[in-house]
Amino acid sequence: MQYAAGIDVGSTQAKAVVIDSSRGIVERFLIDTGANVKRAGQRVLDELVAKAGIQRDDIKFVVGTGYGRYKIEAGDTQVTEISCHARGAHLLFPGTRTVIDMGGQDTKAIKVSSDGDVLDFCMNDKCAAGTGRFLAGAADVLGLTLDEIGEISLRGTKPIRLTSVCTVFVESDILSHLAQKKKVEDILAGVHEAIATRTIGLVRRVGLDPEMTFTGGVARNIGMIRALEAKLGQSLNISPDAHFCGALGAALFAMDHVMAECSPDATVGTEPAVWVDE
Amino acid sequence: MRTTVSDEKDYRGKIHKLSRDIMTGWMSQLKAATTNPVPSAYLMISGNCVEIMRCFDILPVFPEINALQLAIRKNSLPYIIKSEEIGYASDNCAYVKADIGFTMCGGVGENGTIPKPSMIVCNFVGCNVYIKWFEHCSQMLNVPMVMLDIPFLREEAPTKEDVAYVICQLKELITKCEELTGKKFDIDKLREILKYSVRAEAGWSRAKELCKNHPAPFDAYFDSINMMGPINALRGTKEAADFFDATIKEYENMIADGMGVLDEERFRVVFEGPPPYPYYRNFRNLFEAWGAVAVQSTYSTVGGTWEFGFRHDPDNPLESIAEQMIVHNLCNRSMIERYKQIKTYVDDWNADALVIHSIKSCRLFSAGQGDMREYFTKELGVPTLMVESDLEDPRYYAEAQMKNRIDAFFESLQYKRLRKGEQVEMGKRGAGMKGST
Amino acid sequence: MTGEKIIQECRDLLDLLPAQILALAREKHPDVGGFGVFPVYAPVEIIHAAGLLPVGMFGAGDKIELSHADARFQSFICSIAKSTLELFLRDEMKEFEGVVFSSICDVARNLSSLVKRNCPELYVEYLHMPQNMYSAESANYARSEFERFRTNLSKQLNRPIPDEAIRDSLKLYNEVRHHTRRLYAHRKAHPSSIAAADLYAVVQASTRMMPEDFVPMLRELCDAVEASDVKPRDGVRVVVEGAFCEQPPIGLVEVIEASGCLVQDDDMIIGWRLFDDDVVSNGDPLAALSNAYLASSVYTSVRHDYKKPRTDGLIDRMKRSGAEAVLFAPAKFCEPALLDYVLFRQKLEEADVPHLKIEFEEKMWTFESTRTEIETFAESMLFD
Repeated sequence: MQYAAGIDVGSTQAKAVVIDSSRGIVERFLIDTGANVKRAGQRVLDELVAKAGIQRDDIKFVVGTGYGRYKIEAGDTQVTEISCHARGAHLLFPGTRTVIDMGGQDTKAIKVSSDGDVLDFCMNDKCAAGTGRFLAGAADVLGLTLDEIGEISLRGTKPIRLTSVCTVFVESDILSHLAQKKKVEDILAGVHEAIATRTIGLVRRVGLDPEMTFTGGVARNIGMIRALEAKLGQSLNISPDAHFCGALGAALFAMDHVMAECSPDATVGTEPAVWVDE
Repeated sequence: MRTTVSDEKDYRGKIHKLSRDIMTGWMSQLKAATTNPVPSAYLMISGNCVEIMRCFDILPVFPEINALQLAIRKNSLPYIIKSEEIGYASDNCAYVKADIGFTMCGGVGENGTIPKPSMIVCNFVGCNVYIKWFEHCSQMLNVPMVMLDIPFLREEAPTKEDVAYVICQLKELITKCEELTGKKFDIDKLREILKYSVRAEAGWSRAKELCKNHPAPFDAYFDSINMMGPINALRGTKEAADFFDATIKEYENMIADGMGVLDEERFRVVFEGPPPYPYYRNFRNLFEAWGAVAVQSTYSTVGGTWEFGFRHDPDNPLESIAEQMIVHNLCNRSMIERYKQIKTYVDDWNADALVIHSIKSCRLFSAGQGDMREYFTKELGVPTLMVESDLEDPRYYAEAQMKNRIDAFFESLQYKRLRKGEQVEMGKRGAGMKGST
Repeated sequence: MTGEKIIQECRDLLDLLPAQILALAREKHPDVGGFGVFPVYAPVEIIHAAGLLPVGMFGAGDKIELSHADARFQSFICSIAKSTLELFLRDEMKEFEGVVFSSICDVARNLSSLVKRNCPELYVEYLHMPQNMYSAESANYARSEFERFRTNLSKQLNRPIPDEAIRDSLKLYNEVRHHTRRLYAHRKAHPSSIAAADLYAVVQASTRMMPEDFVPMLRELCDAVEASDVKPRDGVRVVVEGAFCEQPPIGLVEVIEASGCLVQDDDMIIGWRLFDDDVVSNGDPLAALSNAYLASSVYTSVRHDYKKPRTDGLIDRMKRSGAEAVLFAPAKFCEPALLDYVLFRQKLEEADVPHLKIEFEEKMWTFESTRTEIETFAESMLFD
């Protein structure tokens, strides 16, 4: 059997996915990135191989993505996570034309073609305003974990208004709301709403679409899903593998290489089966 | 052609060196004037009237070029911080902050590299920050300021009162120059100077025109800076005119030999916005890695939009100087006019994409570039990349983010070509998927 | 009406968006059209003479959420530019005949282009106000700019805007400015006679009402304030400088006085009260306006007069108002204000005048940290 793998080393977590030649997910794995990006890339692949019960040599090609992509020694080549998220989301939901990816320090809105190619994309400005990191900051101030805040925010009935979605000011902003005896759930509802507003501004830049897919680590946060859906007035595609979407896309790119090498006469461009999902 | 990207001297030919030589010549005049004072004047680049200064042998000094030099040599930050210490905000234009910081540290005057000017000519052409900047210089250096208020081009053509107002102010400036130098205004001398200007302007236009070739002989963003010094600061001199003759010759020879600025020109882009001078080379490399060449740029037209045909007119010296200041430079034209300019660039220069480098310092350029992006992607279908940093302040450049966006953008352009059935070869190098057309 | 009632009416107007302001004016003047006036200065007399209500476009405060404008303007662009664009993008201005911008800064200029591109049906005017007050051609140029505006507006409305009508409007706005100056003058002499936030609301109202309706109210208010006998409070007497374009939330103005300061003078909404004397209302009205702009304007950060430095202007404003300190209140990201701050600060330090800088944004709603800063500043002065 021939396998291909994708490794997505992000600012907080390293994810890896292995797929087979039918482009089905064989296994996925995730660890915290920690301080050593290089080691994280290696470790997540090793553990993935072990978990999948395959041999490392069976993986014919590895594509690295995410911020740490150039530090992944196992990576045969690198592709940006923007292309990877588009490709992964397209596999999971072939009808999707807009992908919202929310990670630790970036939020991206990606316009995808019917083939899974990136048509256009937009990212937040340089600062981490309105990203996963902002949520983490809010959770910290309230003494909660990231996994809890989404649920709690759903109980809010009077969302507070934040002065800004600046990660630097979130702490003092929340503290002053606490001082005014605002309920934690209302504060969190406000936090999620503020990020949703900002994110939709980003999505507008590439264009809204009837079928949108939400990927990245924050896509596991139910509060953020609901806040985005409420503002958009439509439901979002969420895959249980949303978190692995970048790694999945990377694995798909890797499989292209594997397939191209199987038919040495054909360059990728003249082999439409590799590129076009019929 | 077999030149390499990394070999700077080689692939830029002799133009790079020639430009440096004549600019260095001018800068040594500046240095000499710090200890042996001659009449000199501060001027702004955009829509300037340097010919009038030349007519009186007044040495022109451009604080913007000073700021640019500091940034490209990676010296700007300490001066920016110095300025912030006396109250400039982090949100203020860093060109101003670098230049003022440099002045505060003694860079201007006897012990510096730039002479204390005899007068400060504020040619207010578009950029409102100019006025503040020159006011601050005037106050710090205790040098009188001459205001040249150039009405913004707010309709298709200037009104006759706009022109009369500017010509009147030019005459008033001439009187000030006469007082300063004790020389009588010699209009025939101005005509001769303008003839040199016209030669340089024609050369500039021709060079820009040559970038319509595939491959383009030079990068109209990154290499244009070699021509911007001569056209904007040294315009009206024989050296500048000769420089453009040599430039054209070199580029025409390259074209005859089928040579381009890169080994392989894979993407033709139009650039909008000033470059990040503190990371000039680094930024350029991110595009060169993809075989992307700028075939046109708006930044190169801050001083003048000569490629659209305007020339100074030695038969109508003041009228044509006024017209250039009001109409024929990017800074005094609206965003809507800039959209048209870029659209012409994309169409006539046959570009694949638009790249917007949005900088915090210069709101004249950047305010509203999101709308520009909207217009080009949604209404015209031109793939557009928008990245942010600064032209002077190194603190705003984040290489990893920059690279990520640029790579993703060219990856997507690459796949679009794939769909069109173009042959693509998969690579294993840093820039991800690479292809050849 | 009592003074309090008039002030309350003015305060109520603060909550309205431009379309609501126009709708309110139409209750009394059914045929009146609306015309947006972006800060700082515009010849509102020409607009009014055309049968329109000139409406001050001071952004949208915290009244709307940005959903489009954030995609057009970057994070380092001031709030007023974003919220103003948002108003146009969401069709809030569709009842208006047009909008006028002027050469105050690079952001405002680009904003005018964006409005024009996104609202192709709307008449968008851009005035280049002179920055050279002393050229032999300055007066001709300024007059021609007003004339160009009149011609364009007249074409737009398909009706003439005669000199006579402009002279009438000049008289009305002269009255508005006259009584506004009266209020400011009285406040200088009697610091607690009108709260800074109230005066601010009144001046805001002058940009939101037909002058013929506003003048009687204003006159009545002046009489009431002048007749009132309010005991002066203690406090640090300050000039508030820097909010000439984007306007602070009224809560901030309240906090300034609640934190131990008394506002003696300020430059809020300065464009609508630019002239320190009545504009000549006989003869050529456009020449009168251009002469007033060139020769009788008070200093602002967007009007450059190389013979009368703004730094001297600030010192003069302080002395004449009996202030002892300056609160510098620039809008966040406001380039003209932030650049002027450097020169102001130097001048104030030379003159040994205490000063404090407090940045604001129109949508700011919590003032706790600002309050602490101002209180500390005021205490340091009182106990000095």
